[in-house]
Amino acid sequence: MTISNTLSIAELTKRYRGRSGVQANDGITFNVSPGSVVGLLGHNGAGKTTLVNQIVGLVRPDAGSIHIDGIDAIAKPNLARQLVSIQAQANVPITGLTPRLAIELVARIRGISKPDARRRTQHLLDVLQLGEWADTPSQKVSGGIARLTSFAMTAVAPGRLVVLDEPTNDVDPVRRRLLWEQIRALADNGAALLLVTHNVREAERVVDHLVVLEQGKVIAAGTPASLTAHLHGALTFEVNVSPDTTIVWPATLERAPHPSGGLEQVRMTGTVRPAHAAEFVHWAQAQVDGGRIEHYALAPASLEDAYLQFVSKNTATATVRKEPTFTPALTKERA
Amino acid sequence: MIALRQTLLLTQWQFRRQAQALPLLVTVQIFMAIATVVGYGLLVGAPSPEVALYLATGAPTVTLITVGLVMTPQIVAQSKTEGSFDWMRTLPVPRTAFLFSDLLVWTLLALPGMVLGVIAGALRFDITLSPAPWIVAAVIVVSITAAAVGYAMATLLPPAVATLLTQMLIFIVMLFSPVSYPASRLPDWLATAHEFLPIEPMAQLIRAGLVQNEFTMPAHSIIVLGIWCAASILGAVAALRRQS
Repeated sequence: MTISNTLSIAELTKRYRGRSGVQANDGITFNVSPGSVVGLLGHNGAGKTTLVNQIVGLVRPDAGSIHIDGIDAIAKPNLARQLVSIQAQANVPITGLTPRLAIELVARIRGISKPDARRRTQHLLDVLQLGEWADTPSQKVSGGIARLTSFAMTAVAPGRLVVLDEPTNDVDPVRRRLLWEQIRALADNGAALLLVTHNVREAERVVDHLVVLEQGKVIAAGTPASLTAHLHGALTFEVNVSPDTTIVWPATLERAPHPSGGLEQVRMTGTVRPAHAAEFVHWAQAQVDGGRIEHYALAPASLEDAYLQFVSKNTATATVRKEPTFTPALTKERA
Repeated sequence: MIALRQTLLLTQWQFRRQAQALPLLVTVQIFMAIATVVGYGLLVGAPSPEVALYLATGAPTVTLITVGLVMTPQIVAQSKTEGSFDWMRTLPVPRTAFLFSDLLVWTLLALPGMVLGVIAGALRFDITLSPAPWIVAAVIVVSITAAAVGYAMATLLPPAVATLLTQMLIFIVMLFSPVSYPASRLPDWLATAHEFLPIEPMAQLIRAGLVQNEFTMPAHSIIVLGIWCAASILGAVAALRRQS
């Protein structure tokens, strides 16, 4: 442990007792330094929430250490909580309160004076464009506004460590961008940020460092650039094959196509070298014209592709992709 | 000082959150008061003066302790299920501040029912009250103890079990506890059990506080009530500090 890290986690291990006996965390080690954003990626059940609950002392680890600004968070959870502010994965129910009141009250509970709490709340309502809903009873606001309120409750009096669990869920694209700006601003003001998400594509733009969790273990860690380095130059393709059609794939594909997705039509993904991209597009367009494929897309390999590779290597399920979420750089729909 | 400030801010938070359910809460309390006064009156017919006193003083006790023993655990169980319980535990606030703010809120929310019960009982049975000077303190002690027992139940038990238990407690409090009738009517074993449970001492305290000319508070009951109050607060604090 070095004091320069705001959060230092070493060899953290937690196994839930009971019949199932889930090994939620298995020797996790990583650090978050002041002013940086570390993304914690992983499937549902990868152990992310258990990790977060241990940081704030709701769950007690079996082994390993957690230090926040040098303080042993396992031995002194009360002290640790003063240094951490957390946005939980589920929205905090605030029925009976308005967003403004909820944000202000949390600031004051965290020790901010009334005028200062009021000023900070107004600032967050402004920058997140929440003014319209600021004084609406919270049971009448949408999920996205509730999510942003929950973020503001966390950011209004940030701890030295700020933990955000899926902060962008349900948030509209315009405010999503404003939210990312505020997340970055928290780090620029010196807080250490731990961002728990499975939205790899968006996190890529904000995080300085990534930790990929799978079945309680860190299976990859590094900067976004270092994690995608081995994919440089590769392009990912996605093809929706028409029902009951046999496709003859071009011979130049780097990684053979694999099926993914629903039953109605077969969605295939794989990678192709840039040198063969034009040829691939030519081939795919001919398939579209011939009615053999319905849709295709070609995009630069991204952090998401790297993430899926790490995870699939670990779970040995090859490159099957259940829900491709990336936006294609090049899309051609059949008319 | 900081802890006190945080407790009051949390109280404000919890009170505002519950306040929107206040009309519903008061409606339920009115029904409880009417059920115990008018409903029991129907059951017993024309009551003797002693029975009338029990019925009239039992009504405020029933509404008062129902809030603590039944509504408090239901709301706490709900907050555990919806996630706000765990979120609040991530705040840098002493665990006791949560407990005291919640107890304060539930003690206050139980008061309208108590007042309604007294009014309904006095009107229906035309009795003369002789309130003791310490009646307000007694009401607060009973309300806090009921809320603490309810809070401990909800924090120590899984939400589903706690909710089920509250459903049983309504019947135990209304029918099988010496609140609206004297303990001598109970079977011996149940009367003995009630000597160690908190419900009878609560009823005795309110009865003696409202009609001090007729009733007194036995020392044994004060001790039993004190033990239940302290044990419940300790149990709830332990549950709030518990790590999984």
